[in-house]
Amino acid sequence: MADPLLLAAYILIFPGFLFLFAYSMVFEFLDRRIVARMQNRVGPPFFQPFADIVKTLGKEVIDPEGVDRPIFDAAPIVALAAVMTAFLYVPVIGASPLAFQGDLVLVLYLLTLPTLALMLLGWLSRNIYAAVGGVRAVTMLFIYEVPFFLALVMPTLMAGTWSVSEIMAWQKEHLWLAVLQPIAFVIALIGLQAKLERTPFDIPEAETEIVAGPWTELTGRRLALMHLANQSAAVAGSALIAAVFLGGPALPWASGSAVLDAIAGFLLFLAKTLAILLILATVRGATARIRLDQLNVIGWKYITTAALAQVAIVLVMNAWEVGA
Amino acid sequence: MTVLSEMLRNLVSRPTTTLYPVEKVPIPDAFRGRVECADERCIGCSKCSLVCPASAITMVENQREVEFRGKTMVRKKKPQVSLYSCIRCGLCERHCPADAMHLRNVLSASGPTCEEVIM
Amino acid sequence: MTRVVVPIGPQHPALKEPVNFRVIADGERIVELELNLSYSHRGIEKAAEQRDFIRALPLIERVCGICSHSHTTAFSKGIEEIMGVEVPPRAQYIRTIIAELERMHSHLLWLGVAAHEVGFNTLFMWTWRDREAIQDTLEEMTGNRVHYIMNEVGGVRLDLSPLQVEAALVRLPVLEERIRAYVEMVEAEETMLTRFRGVGCLSRDEALCFGAVGPTARASGVDYDVRRDDPYLAYAEIPWNVVTDTNGDVYGRTRVRIGELGESLAMVRYCLEHLPDGPIRVSVPKTAPPGEILSRYEAPRGELVHFIRTNGTDRVERIDIRTPTLANWTSVAHCLIGRPLADVPVIVAAIDPCLSCTSRITVSNRGEDAASGTPPRTGWEG
Repeated sequence: MADPLLLAAYILIFPGFLFLFAYSMVFEFLDRRIVARMQNRVGPPFFQPFADIVKTLGKEVIDPEGVDRPIFDAAPIVALAAVMTAFLYVPVIGASPLAFQGDLVLVLYLLTLPTLALMLLGWLSRNIYAAVGGVRAVTMLFIYEVPFFLALVMPTLMAGTWSVSEIMAWQKEHLWLAVLQPIAFVIALIGLQAKLERTPFDIPEAETEIVAGPWTELTGRRLALMHLANQSAAVAGSALIAAVFLGGPALPWASGSAVLDAIAGFLLFLAKTLAILLILATVRGATARIRLDQLNVIGWKYITTAALAQVAIVLVMNAWEVGA
Repeated sequence: MTVLSEMLRNLVSRPTTTLYPVEKVPIPDAFRGRVECADERCIGCSKCSLVCPASAITMVENQREVEFRGKTMVRKKKPQVSLYSCIRCGLCERHCPADAMHLRNVLSASGPTCEEVIM
Repeated sequence: MTRVVVPIGPQHPALKEPVNFRVIADGERIVELELNLSYSHRGIEKAAEQRDFIRALPLIERVCGICSHSHTTAFSKGIEEIMGVEVPPRAQYIRTIIAELERMHSHLLWLGVAAHEVGFNTLFMWTWRDREAIQDTLEEMTGNRVHYIMNEVGGVRLDLSPLQVEAALVRLPVLEERIRAYVEMVEAEETMLTRFRGVGCLSRDEALCFGAVGPTARASGVDYDVRRDDPYLAYAEIPWNVVTDTNGDVYGRTRVRIGELGESLAMVRYCLEHLPDGPIRVSVPKTAPPGEILSRYEAPRGELVHFIRTNGTDRVERIDIRTPTLANWTSVAHCLIGRPLADVPVIVAAIDPCLSCTSRITVSNRGEDAASGTPPRTGWEG
């Protein structure tokens, strides 16, 4: 795609930023609807997430006394910008036009920024609940990032490339990496649930313990942008896992035209990300929140050990050229 | 059954929410709602006013001929209930000797003015 | 390490009613704890002294919303005992039915709230959905979902028609099925168990030392239930069991409360099926002879005590209410020291706190402060 106009349309409209925002709201609606139906309730109507964002954008921004206003304003914007940039490198209708070797590392790094922004907001809020929440967010980051990164780097060992789009392409001729590396797939899903700070890992935002954690002093447009960043991270994370483990938006066979490829790829993308959403929503509904010290034990004892075991298995499989 | 199986079963069944205003929750007969005084039976004894814990009932002048225990008499007063003070305890109904005060099963005390009363 | 003061309350999402814990935390560990109660003090005990028995009952009922029947029953039976009045058996059975239905809906509410405190909102939604069946039954029988005003001195206000009895009996099997499902879920749901087990441990000696009552004490092995040890209403005639547990932590209290749910359901069914005929009230004298009585009742949260002093008029001279939550707060303060901050809502919710019940007395030292010139100090004693 050398045409700059087409590239601009890809980045800004579809499947770039505008699509990301729209799809993140659909994601949030489906997540809340599915969990509500599982709880025997009705759930919000379709436009609820959109209405929430629009309403919150219009509300008054309240600055607590003595708070560092420029950073308070900038942190949600940085978080949103990081997620938006990360989404550009994830395949949506086919390989990403901006793909390069190492963009997997870039995407993983960019997806960490919202948590750091949250920690900064918590620390600077001059509010004891926010400070505790911010500290919890970073502590949780230490615990889940190691297995999450390991799980997402396993595919590179097998596919022999550091680009998300090429890992996706590798799965066209071979089996899905979710089948070849099931432990890594499960750990990636757990890591995604922790990254999005959803139950059972919603420790930083534990409503009944520390009010709203780092979100306590966010109001108005800051809250709207941070919320949008959180939801977009859900989309970006699901799209990443769909591309790396579930084969992404690629038909296993080559059809005739490029347009048909793109449409079929897009439909596959929707199906796979929604499947991941179903799993995440079910886990959210079926569990209670665990404590941070308990997560510490579980994260290091079980999840990281499993990830390391998976590394060993992958190295052995590579040596015996299984799945090649 | 486990949490997971119940959740998945709920996913495909109808939610238990009553979809107001299309559906409404049925109000049972014994519901303690709006106080009403039957004009043809009240004998003006003021017992309801004495018994009301919220002091919501005042007696006002109102003459009428009523039947009470087979005898005709002329009552002098009638209760006036401030619906916003009424706590709908039902004590006036319980202690009324003429079976005139009743709590009907309609919702009470919603309206545009502060001084809503009943006669 | 620096110590931080984390104020939990009086307004906090974990608390349904205002109470203040001034927690001094070292990182996530609680080092010290200061408890401030009495944000809901309304002066009900004083107001009750100015109302005769008929008008005082709705007031006493509004001490608490969930245990409203407990307060009116304790008050009525105290006055009846002072007057020497014998309540007819049908009234006793009706009072028992309402009392056990109240215990059921209170325990289901607690189960939902405990699940909500650990973030398990699914169980919260389900238990409150099943609680609606009990609320509907109570509404059909008494006219309101809480604040039933079924009691009056000498009996009950309303009778139960055969239709109402039938409608209530029809709802019971579904509830039984749901309670069985909750027993299974609580034993099997791992994430909830990790939050409940080993949290808020209270040994039997500690429970007795701190004066814990109700399911909080019974979960630590204290085998004491006012319904069996000081029988009132119809409890001496109905077959039922006291539920105790030896775990002593929040998990134990959960098991005790779910066990009591099952027992209460059986009691309601027995009473509905064996409702004796007869009058529902007797006429009582207008005034009560002078006397003092301690009326005890097993409320859903524990032992409720009404101390009533009458002086020959148609009012009480003094009423003093010691609610079960008041007795349980010391054990909460004791259990919280050394635990992580995340355990605060769990341990607080485990005693099933009802703050409206708690605040009864205010101590004001106006006299001596006026003499020394310092401004008057009002100390709140829960």
